[in-house]
Amino acid sequence: MFTFIVLLGFTSYYFGRRKAYTIQSTNKRLTALPQFYGYYLAIWCAIPAFIIFSLWAIFEPTIVKLLILSDYSNQGYLDDELNLIYEKTKALSRGQFTGEITPFIEASAEKYLSLRSIAQSSKAVIVLSIIIASVAYAYKKISSNSKTREPVEKFLKAVLFTASLAAILTTVGIVFSLIFQTIDFFKVIPLFDFVFGTHWYPAKAFVRDSSEALDPTMYSDTFGAVPIFAGTFFIAFIAMCVAIPIGLMSGIYLAEYASVKVRQYAKPLIEILAGIPTVVYGFFAALTVGPFLKEIGNSMGLDVSAESALAAGGVMGIMIIPFISSLSDDVITSVPQSLRDGSYAMGATKSETIKKVIFPAALPGIVGSILLGVSRAIGETMIVVMASGLAANLTINPLESTSTITAQIVVILIGDQAFGDPKTQAAFALGMSLFLVTLCLNIVALRVVKKYREKYE
Amino acid sequence: MIKINSKNVDVYYGKKQALFNINLDIEENQVTALIGPSGCGKSTFLRCLNRMNDVIDICRVKGQIIINDFDINDKSCDVVRLREKIGMVFQKPNPFPKTIYENISYGPTIHGMAQSKNEMDEIVETSLKKAALWEEVKDRLHEPGTGLSGGQQQRLCIARAISVKPEVILMDEPCSALDPIATAQIEELIDELKKDHTIIIVTHSMAQAARVSQNTGFFHLGELIEHGSTDKIFKNPENKKTQDYITGRFG
Repeated sequence: MFTFIVLLGFTSYYFGRRKAYTIQSTNKRLTALPQFYGYYLAIWCAIPAFIIFSLWAIFEPTIVKLLILSDYSNQGYLDDELNLIYEKTKALSRGQFTGEITPFIEASAEKYLSLRSIAQSSKAVIVLSIIIASVAYAYKKISSNSKTREPVEKFLKAVLFTASLAAILTTVGIVFSLIFQTIDFFKVIPLFDFVFGTHWYPAKAFVRDSSEALDPTMYSDTFGAVPIFAGTFFIAFIAMCVAIPIGLMSGIYLAEYASVKVRQYAKPLIEILAGIPTVVYGFFAALTVGPFLKEIGNSMGLDVSAESALAAGGVMGIMIIPFISSLSDDVITSVPQSLRDGSYAMGATKSETIKKVIFPAALPGIVGSILLGVSRAIGETMIVVMASGLAANLTINPLESTSTITAQIVVILIGDQAFGDPKTQAAFALGMSLFLVTLCLNIVALRVVKKYREKYE
Repeated sequence: MIKINSKNVDVYYGKKQALFNINLDIEENQVTALIGPSGCGKSTFLRCLNRMNDVIDICRVKGQIIINDFDINDKSCDVVRLREKIGMVFQKPNPFPKTIYENISYGPTIHGMAQSKNEMDEIVETSLKKAALWEEVKDRLHEPGTGLSGGQQQRLCIARAISVKPEVILMDEPCSALDPIATAQIEELIDELKKDHTIIIVTHSMAQAARVSQNTGFFHLGELIEHGSTDKIFKNPENKKTQDYITGRFG
């Protein structure tokens, strides 16, 4: 059906254009290019049909369900039981039902099948007649002086608007789903305990039998988020210690020192780092870097755990290098040549020019790139899960294992979980706080970048 | 007295030759104007004099440019010292995105010319006074130089150039981005500055060349067609092309 509508759309494009050509051949001037007539007709053909088609898809199951269940009304069934009957009916009609077949359900199944087939055929008829009606209307409207360009342009604008609206609505939707669960979570766990508690041990919440009543006191000392916040910032800090110097220096090299040829090859090569899936970084950290650090540490008489914050942070830093180097390279390159000339003409050397003129001029942009890198580091999950362990230790020893917000969300949501349980809701609370942190960072980064734009002109 | 003596200077951008066998002497403590139509090589020649063409990868310079008995194209020439002696002012004002004070103190700092804060303050003040900008900015030395008007920015760039006490100042169309009043101020300034500095100015405005310079060189298609005293070039040129250009018949 879907492909059919699309095909009809193409055909009507062709007919619309042909009609335009015919009009043109009678030496009349068209108000728009012939393609616009084609688009106009195609839009008229496809869009009403699609709207009916999707409305049908949305409402058909509900209406069928209502009709089936109307047989069971006034018999004192509960909503849950009615739902069950409907599911049984559907399963039976597909021949997948394995329980006891009662005559009632059998009758319903037959009714369901007939309703479905009526629905199918009437849908086809209605959609088809809509297509015919709208195309006929539009085709008749096409004449030498009909307006086709404006509706087509308006339609395109509407499509683009819908696309951006979809992105925004998704964000809003995600935020709302986070907010409600988070509020539920804080109804059980006091905000104070979450923000200032130093003990994170969600496994304790597994113990609860779901039939028992919820007793907030049993969760005291379970959801203290301090260790994982500390772990998050600690690992991000280690990552930035690796990424900022290396990324910046390679960015400066690429922008100022590298010859055109070197830059042409080196820049894409560095950017390849950004294309490696984080899972690959994760096992690189867990299987190569971690044991390697452990061995070195042991040979120096240090007690190093195989899953350490250092391994995770270090590898994460490598992952972030291309962001910082590539962005700061762009920023440094966009510093006007006239500033460089001015500095060279004063007798400054290359490094003096970079240090005193170019770097300060590019600084806001560089800070922006670093902040973007930091939000990457805070949001990174896979490397931490694989390389730094899951135990939420409160430590500042980089050789021990720590855990981060994202890693804990993974731990909480893997396997069975029940909605409405504080353990599950804890994940939403963590997600919400993570969202707030990265949002703030992004806002700051954007502000800084914006300020930078006003800098020289 | 001859300050700069250039012999057989050729310049190439990649395979394309931009300057052909330029021989031009520059008089000390005078203003020399270089005129000619766009793309004739006058700016390229100017940039040879402080080796700014080094910045352009594909650019090659041949021939001798002798300043103070020393060939600046020689391998032993220290570009940093050379550019300390030969300052440059560009077409578009290009103050650094720093404060007015820092813009001036930049050169003296990198050349280690001031031992103390007081000395630096003095250098900044004299440079700004020489550039006739002091009165306008003395109360806001620590505000960004990019906040000044176009004419003020260009005078700031001149002050920056003279802060390291160069012997020669190169000016590459310094007034092309300025309005007539700012232009008049800069021209007055050039007249002042020639007491202490040798000035070479590239300009598109024949009237400006006539107003500010003592000597003029006319470039066309990468060649130096004619040079001599400004009076002679403008009133009694030897070459037909010079005559045509000056009377506005081409260019």
